[in-house]
Amino acid sequence: MRDSTASYRVKRGLGIAMMLAFLLFALLPVIWVIILALRPAQQLFEPIWRSPLALTLDNIYSITRSDFPKALVNSFITAGCSTALALILGVPGAFSLSKRKAANKFLASWLLLLLRMAPPVGFVIPLFLIYIKTGMIDTYAGLIFAYTSLTLPFVVWSMWSSFNQIPDELVEAGLMDGASMWNVLLKVAIPAARPGLVAAAVLSFLLAWNDFFFALIITRADTMTAPVAVMNFVSYASVDWGAIAVASIALTLPVVPIIIIANKYIVQSLGGAVKG
Amino acid sequence: MQFKTMISGVTALLCTTALMGGQASAQEQEVNVLLFSMPSTQGLQKLAGDFEAETGIKANIDVVGQNVFENRITLSFAGGARDIDVVHTPVIQVQRWVEAGWLQPITDLVENIEDRDDILAGPLNSYLVDGEYWAVPFFAETGLMAYRRDILEAAGVNPPETWEEMLNVAAAIDSGDTAAIAMRVAPGQGFNMFVFPMIMRAYGGKFFENYPDDLTPALDSPENLEALKTYITLMNDYGPEGIGNFNFPEVVAALQSGQAAMTVDGTSIVSQAVDPEKSRFADEFVLALPPGGPAGRSPAIAVHGLGIPAGAEHSEAARKFIEWATSTETLTKLAINEAYPDFTRASVAQNPEVKAKYAGIQDNFLDLRVEALNLAVGNYRPLIPTWPEIGAAVGENINAAVNGLMTPEEALAAAQDEMEAILDN
Repeated sequence: MRDSTASYRVKRGLGIAMMLAFLLFALLPVIWVIILALRPAQQLFEPIWRSPLALTLDNIYSITRSDFPKALVNSFITAGCSTALALILGVPGAFSLSKRKAANKFLASWLLLLLRMAPPVGFVIPLFLIYIKTGMIDTYAGLIFAYTSLTLPFVVWSMWSSFNQIPDELVEAGLMDGASMWNVLLKVAIPAARPGLVAAAVLSFLLAWNDFFFALIITRADTMTAPVAVMNFVSYASVDWGAIAVASIALTLPVVPIIIIANKYIVQSLGGAVKG
Repeated sequence: MQFKTMISGVTALLCTTALMGGQASAQEQEVNVLLFSMPSTQGLQKLAGDFEAETGIKANIDVVGQNVFENRITLSFAGGARDIDVVHTPVIQVQRWVEAGWLQPITDLVENIEDRDDILAGPLNSYLVDGEYWAVPFFAETGLMAYRRDILEAAGVNPPETWEEMLNVAAAIDSGDTAAIAMRVAPGQGFNMFVFPMIMRAYGGKFFENYPDDLTPALDSPENLEALKTYITLMNDYGPEGIGNFNFPEVVAALQSGQAAMTVDGTSIVSQAVDPEKSRFADEFVLALPPGGPAGRSPAIAVHGLGIPAGAEHSEAARKFIEWATSTETLTKLAINEAYPDFTRASVAQNPEVKAKYAGIQDNFLDLRVEALNLAVGNYRPLIPTWPEIGAAVGENINAAVNGLMTPEEALAAAQDEMEAILDN
């Protein structure tokens, strides 16, 4: 019998109300930033209910005339390339670590983890000095290599565990059928570990996309990325809140479709579901 | 598979663009300039083409946020990177940078400037350390007061001439809708320690027994205590809600949106209250000299200049850039194009276009600025290498006192102890 008593309805209503309250709490900063982005400078700090119709696109226009769009493109280029590089180098590396019978795997895993544990500030100063000497400051290649030092260990570490979930028999069957190790990797292992691959790619892209520290140190006007460009709206005597709000939205928007598309794979990968 | 083709296509495109764009631009004649963002420097960046047309030298002017600037400069100087030829040099940092060997003297450059007398003596001399000049000023802002004429008139009070009067005026005009006064309280040598010394010095307070001969800390004096009590009363009794964390953006927003009726701060802040594009009460705000006290008025002063880092690669080009950037012609263009009148050459004030622009805001705007600059003492914030640390430490304690975490007496005693410790090191 369906429970339709008053107490059930009250409980259900309370549950929904609580969920809505949490949702509102989580979304409040986002809503606030959207409002800020659309408010003219004069009404920026006025409660929205006092002048609900005072909205403008000026902040968006002003940001398109600034260096920010170029910085956004720079972010795409550097995060995209470092992710690609990390996948090209990291996936075969992880496969080899997972499927080769080697004695020093434990050491390799710890070295990799150590790289992930070291705070960026630990290697940014030597990196900066090397870059100065070699003319790599303010170059895409310099920033991409720096990001790869973040993304490569991450890709190897996460793909290693993805490949571990693929039964060895599957790899052996491929080899028995006469395929080379490369073919087994490309045609058997990678398709089987696709959720892990997508998750590793998305998360390493985000790692580089959100970076502030490396870009702060090794970029200048030509290759400045978006997170650093946002800081430039804070000037000596004023803070351009409208521009910062628009920039924050612009920084978040491109990531949303990536996450939505990759969501299924990320969940699968974290859940560890690979069919044998 | 379509998915794979798309991914590899995008990757190839991105990486090709990256490698193509990655070539460092190697020009024979160039100068790398690092400035932090303010209207003058943004304006200078827009004029870079003029410099190239005049000299044939390409100026790569990087204008970055203040935090970004501080990180880059520290790393670049400490690492001996030699990647910057002209550096934004705030007067407050010059002593520390000189002591650390980070700047090169440019006395010959200063002495060879033909119309050198035109440069305001106070700002220029603030760069004179150990008998040498280390930078040429391009920006000098001073302390002014901004008040809402309509609110003061409605309450039947005159604008305050002293901080004592300020307390009475604040009491008379403070209302639920509009707080009487907003000033910076956020801790920092460039934040609350930019505005608080205006009160402190007006009451006769000082940082040292007898600067620069006797650098014995003198913070725990009755004058400083009275000044601090005045500041605390003004902020806590007549300031807007949340004043304990106010920095310049909040002060500006409070003035522009009608949350506060008065402030005392630098020209670059008070100018935003009278900016009709941003301020709803631009017509009502009036600018005046900051209030004084038993020891007279002591407007704040902040000077920014251009210096050359030690070992800069394009030192000659850097000199030409500094001469161009601090010339009457360039500073006049900046005063006309940008928002604030913080130029450092006397002749700029004589330019008819500059005169007309600032008279449009307030008849006596430029005269007020000159008067305040004349009243300001060069060592408003002591020009010693340890000031950045001392200013930060004192600022923390002053902030704690305003926020009720310490009594004013405790705050000054703690600041005195910290100051002694920093100086002993």
